[in-house]
Amino acid sequence: MMLPTILDRRIVLVSGKGGVGRTTVSAALARAAAAAGKRVLVTEIEEPAIQSQSTLARMFGRETLPVRPALVAPGIHGCMLATERGTEQFLGDVFRVQALARLALRNAALRRLLHAGPSFHEMGVFYQLLHLVRLETPDGRPRFDFIVVDMPATGHTLALTGLPEILLRLVRRGPIAAALREGQGWLNNPRTGCAVVVTIPEPLPVTEALELVEGLQATQMHICGLVVNKVPVDPFSDEERGALAELLPAGPLYGKEELERMERAAHSLQRLRASTRIPVLAVPLFAVDGSAAAEALTAFLKAEEGL
Amino acid sequence: MSRLSEHIHEKRIVICCGAGGVGKTTTSAALAVAAAQDGRRVLVLTIDPSKRLAEALGVSANTPDPVRVRADREAEAGIHSPGTLSAWMLDPKLVSDTTVRRLVKDPAKVRDLMANPIYQQVTQMIAGMQEYTAMEALHGFVERGDYDLVILDTPPARNALNFLDAPRRLGEFMDGRIFQMLLPDREGGGAFGGTTRRMAGKVLAGVFGDEFYADMQVFFAAFGSIFAQLNGNAQKMRLRLQRDDVVFLLVTSPVRTALDDALYFEDRIRELELPLGGLILNRSRHLAEERPMPDSSLLPARPTELHRSALRHLVVLAERERQHETEHRELLSTLAQNVPKDIEVLTVPEVPGGIDDLRGLGELARWLLDERHAHRSAELG
Repeated sequence: MMLPTILDRRIVLVSGKGGVGRTTVSAALARAAAAAGKRVLVTEIEEPAIQSQSTLARMFGRETLPVRPALVAPGIHGCMLATERGTEQFLGDVFRVQALARLALRNAALRRLLHAGPSFHEMGVFYQLLHLVRLETPDGRPRFDFIVVDMPATGHTLALTGLPEILLRLVRRGPIAAALREGQGWLNNPRTGCAVVVTIPEPLPVTEALELVEGLQATQMHICGLVVNKVPVDPFSDEERGALAELLPAGPLYGKEELERMERAAHSLQRLRASTRIPVLAVPLFAVDGSAAAEALTAFLKAEEGL
Repeated sequence: MSRLSEHIHEKRIVICCGAGGVGKTTTSAALAVAAAQDGRRVLVLTIDPSKRLAEALGVSANTPDPVRVRADREAEAGIHSPGTLSAWMLDPKLVSDTTVRRLVKDPAKVRDLMANPIYQQVTQMIAGMQEYTAMEALHGFVERGDYDLVILDTPPARNALNFLDAPRRLGEFMDGRIFQMLLPDREGGGAFGGTTRRMAGKVLAGVFGDEFYADMQVFFAAFGSIFAQLNGNAQKMRLRLQRDDVVFLLVTSPVRTALDDALYFEDRIRELELPLGGLILNRSRHLAEERPMPDSSLLPARPTELHRSALRHLVVLAERERQHETEHRELLSTLAQNVPKDIEVLTVPEVPGGIDDLRGLGELARWLLDERHAHRSAELG
């Protein structure tokens, strides 16, 4: 039941440490949502360094994601969450005149302030996300009813989800406070916002995933699911296991490492399931990568739910 | 001797960079173990909020000072170091508090600043503060001279090198006109006449709310006075990092995206004119020795159908395993073609299940220092 729960939200934050297939999960969720008829937006947080290449963009056959939402696949729009765009949007909304906001941002001193202050970056990103959720079609429906955010590394994820609580302790009134409360309303309401934590079935990544779950819950995020990628498929029946034990030589042999990996994976999955009540989805290791892996995962997700 | 052993033996600062999930923290800790075994007093400093390093070293998080790894724990793990091994997780709040106490002589002013709500919140933020305080912490540890070597494990992000740049950005802001506007009214009005200041104040109070604007003025007035010194330290450290007793190491793993990131870091390090000392490729299977493939010779004299089907499955696993090794060799040769020919590349095999204790770190340390595992990138193509 993981997929329908996720597809029911407006904003899904996909999080997990590097190398676990987080971007593949983001792209697969976007595809699954588009197939279910949702108006989908995939996003990632712009880091100046990433402009040159983006794994998420490559999932949709592009080098980078556009600055404004644009179609990247049938039924899927994509864009970057950029600090500066968010700040401009915010100032525009406050001053009610977008041109004035742009003018203000051309001021070198203000740009430096926004660049330097801790959490100004997150605030810009946060506001742009809020702006994208608010967008409506001319007939008053949400412009995007499913927004997937491919989140950065753990620390930065928690910096973003924890932003409203920390800033609201400081800024209690005024437009920033109002925006933070509205964003909190979207993200922390389990009907509209959720996080998906991605990991792989190895001991240390599982430990870190459980820490991330704790961290996200501490920032009031609801977690819809734990996706465990790259789970090696165990081809042996119990009887075959017995026979296998009689075959294995004492010395080195191709295949022994994979057998050990399978055992670690089984143990890691057990540990995850025992440690949390969040639904755990084990995704088999695909023989492909890049966008092909995202397609394979989309198919797997749908098959898993009998869709 | 490999260049890495020389670095560990001679340098004062080692900085490990790389993408998330490549084993950077573990590598930093193992290098620290290696240096302690070499007789040096070494500190490993991580700005990654993960608890892993602390757990592996057996020190707890959020301690005010670096914690020395106990000799009996080292002995238990088969590590015998004539030097000392200490670890610390960067805590922005602690670094800020210590710095304020050091720089502000008047205890009443210290109390005022620490009671300011903005100071309290800002120093607890994860976002950004790590970057600002990393330089100050590094500066503090290096200046004090309690350690022969400080190893810094940078945060797992593409912008990991931002910490080099963060103090400068903050410095520009503090010296800038916007900052002047945030300061409470003083006699004479400073660089701005009263009108400009009142206008700016109106806008800021409108955006942030009155209350916050008032807190902000108090905060900047107090913090501004110590800022020049902080910024000076950061600038000094920034130049300090270009000296030849510092080395940057790139850590990566045989995953295409991690390799792409490594090449990106390599560019950045050169661009910033920082000393790049080598590349450590973790979890590589390219060195795996040839071994037999499972075949019918494993079957007993009178095999059952179960034996045969178990063997068929095993062959599939074996083929996958061999395939991985081939892929790793291919990725490694791509890497070798893209880095300068004289860079030392150290390859580390995959440790099943990962390294999560001191014994594992000791083993990794031995591997890293073994010159048989060091290559020039040109040899790997």
